[in-house]
Amino acid sequence: MNSVPAVEVDGVSKNYGSVSALKPTSFAVPEGRYFVLLGPSGGGKTTTLRMIAGLIRPTTGRVRIGGRDVTDQPANRRDTAMVFQGFALFPHMTVEQNVAYGLELRRLPKDELRDRTAAMLRLVGLTGFEARRPSALSGGQQQRVQLARALVLQTSIVLLDEPLAALDATLRKDMCFELKHIQESVGTTFIHVTHNQEEAMTVADEIALIAAGTLVESGSPREVYETPRCRFTAEFIGENAVFSGPIVEGALRIGGAAPFVRDAEPPLAISVAAENIDLHLQQPDLEQTLPGTVVDVFYLGFSALLHVEVDGGPVVPVRLLSKELDAGIKSGGRVWLSWDPDHARMHTA
Amino acid sequence: MFRSFNAGGTAPARRSLWQVIVDDHGPGRIVLWIPLVFMVAFFLIPLALTLVWSVFERTMFWMEPGFTLAAYQDFFGSGRVDSFLNSVKSAAVTVAVAFILGFPIAVFVRRSVPAHAQHQAVLLFILPFMISEVIRLFALRPVLGRNGIVNDLLMSIGLVDEPISALLFTPTSVVIGEVLSFLPFMVFCGFLAMEAVPDYVFELCDDIGSGLVVTLRRVIIPLAAPGIFAAAIFIFVNSLGLFLVPDLLGGPGAANAGTLVVNAIAALDFPLAMAIAAIMVTMMVALLLIGHWLFDLTKLLEPFR
Repeated sequence: MNSVPAVEVDGVSKNYGSVSALKPTSFAVPEGRYFVLLGPSGGGKTTTLRMIAGLIRPTTGRVRIGGRDVTDQPANRRDTAMVFQGFALFPHMTVEQNVAYGLELRRLPKDELRDRTAAMLRLVGLTGFEARRPSALSGGQQQRVQLARALVLQTSIVLLDEPLAALDATLRKDMCFELKHIQESVGTTFIHVTHNQEEAMTVADEIALIAAGTLVESGSPREVYETPRCRFTAEFIGENAVFSGPIVEGALRIGGAAPFVRDAEPPLAISVAAENIDLHLQQPDLEQTLPGTVVDVFYLGFSALLHVEVDGGPVVPVRLLSKELDAGIKSGGRVWLSWDPDHARMHTA
Repeated sequence: MFRSFNAGGTAPARRSLWQVIVDDHGPGRIVLWIPLVFMVAFFLIPLALTLVWSVFERTMFWMEPGFTLAAYQDFFGSGRVDSFLNSVKSAAVTVAVAFILGFPIAVFVRRSVPAHAQHQAVLLFILPFMISEVIRLFALRPVLGRNGIVNDLLMSIGLVDEPISALLFTPTSVVIGEVLSFLPFMVFCGFLAMEAVPDYVFELCDDIGSGLVVTLRRVIIPLAAPGIFAAAIFIFVNSLGLFLVPDLLGGPGAANAGTLVVNAIAALDFPLAMAIAAIMVTMMVALLLIGHWLFDLTKLLEPFR
């Protein structure tokens, strides 16, 4: 593998008038990675993607692709191909024509063009659909055509802007697996924008969390889920109980309960994943417990989700196996929460 | 338990007279027939009369029932058919020029003007229609004439040594006048036709590396074709019939189909006027059928998705 990153975003920002869509942001995407920009809507992730594609110009900063500065290059000169949100196909062309259009513009010989188009349609599982119009395809199929259209150009980077947002949940899940397989089989660098964390976790080698115009943190799906550095990450990814409170004698107090963290430096919050919280029906004989009241019980099949209002503290999620509900857990009941100190994560920001 | 509205003893809601009238089954549904009545009274019946009268016998001041093709013989056997064909030619040129000038404007407005300002931008092109056609066309005379603004400008920047006299009272000036009259229709219809072109097409083509000309030819024009065709028919038919333009700008002897009809009526040769009108209508219907066959005009002005 090459040591030069496939894409390097270096201090890139975008302002629309006085509104800042993206504050100066830097990250690098190694070659062959499936990189996901994850974050809430309006956070600046699509803006970032479009600046990599060359569809909008950054206000400041440079974009490098394969080590080459492409900031001043238009979209068609960049070694990127885009899969757009929604079903962005040419409605008057057949599936085959849609995929082949980019190759035609590149003046490929007829038979090579046909072979590459056919190979791509096979890859995305649309052999036999060549002569159909986009209007005669399902949403998932249309997005496959878009993917084939992007991949057939054999660019070193494929950009995907919310490619699955318009699909229903089941289809979205299947398409996630498929996207991952396709990316692994072609080895192209994928940069994928989504607001859906499950989608991001499924496909990504690396996730960059973007919110409010800043890159919050990045890491592998496992890292951002299990050991988030920032409080925002803990709130956005997975289900986490996030506690913050007054610092008393260098320790965080939650409600009236015992101090939790020694030698804390403010500002500080701690978070615990919902599935790592232990629930007790009697006060346990532990140094650190939080009393609270069950507010809601949601049965979700294999697991159950509780909302527990900590006395003098926030309402936090707690995950249990559904069979644990039989112990007599019900809405309005008194419970005590505790966790293994190793599972508590500290956030300074 | 399910109860109908009246079962509880409450009186049925009293409907106002207006509600009764506009009810799906009320007398208000007659309104739906008004367009049809209008089309029959002011389009189909006159059209039928045109065809029937074109084969009537000519009399001194009017015509009498009968069947004769004399009017058609008169038309095809005289210089009128040449005038007619010339006006067909200049109408076709007008359509082409209006398309080349007007459609890019429509594309530009759709692509580059912010969505909230697009309609205002198009409105600018319709503003000239607030001025009477006669005045608009007449005002072209001092612009296009030998000593007109255009010639003055061309000479002062040294492009030509002597004034171009072909700009006024020639077939060229007729085309210029027609283009100026009908350009707004191309812009407006083109703008509406662009409804059929999804917005993402522009970014997609940018990304895929399709230049503007190729994008126009391969993507935009095919998608907008029904609307463009509608504008083309409109401009073509009106160029044929609008006798004001050759009258004011064409110079002596200039004629289009409209002039021929007006002259025939002035000469009290009503069957001839009807015959020419019938030929024009036939042409229009033929063009519409071809257009429908090519582009499915039921999709006209249907926005994408």
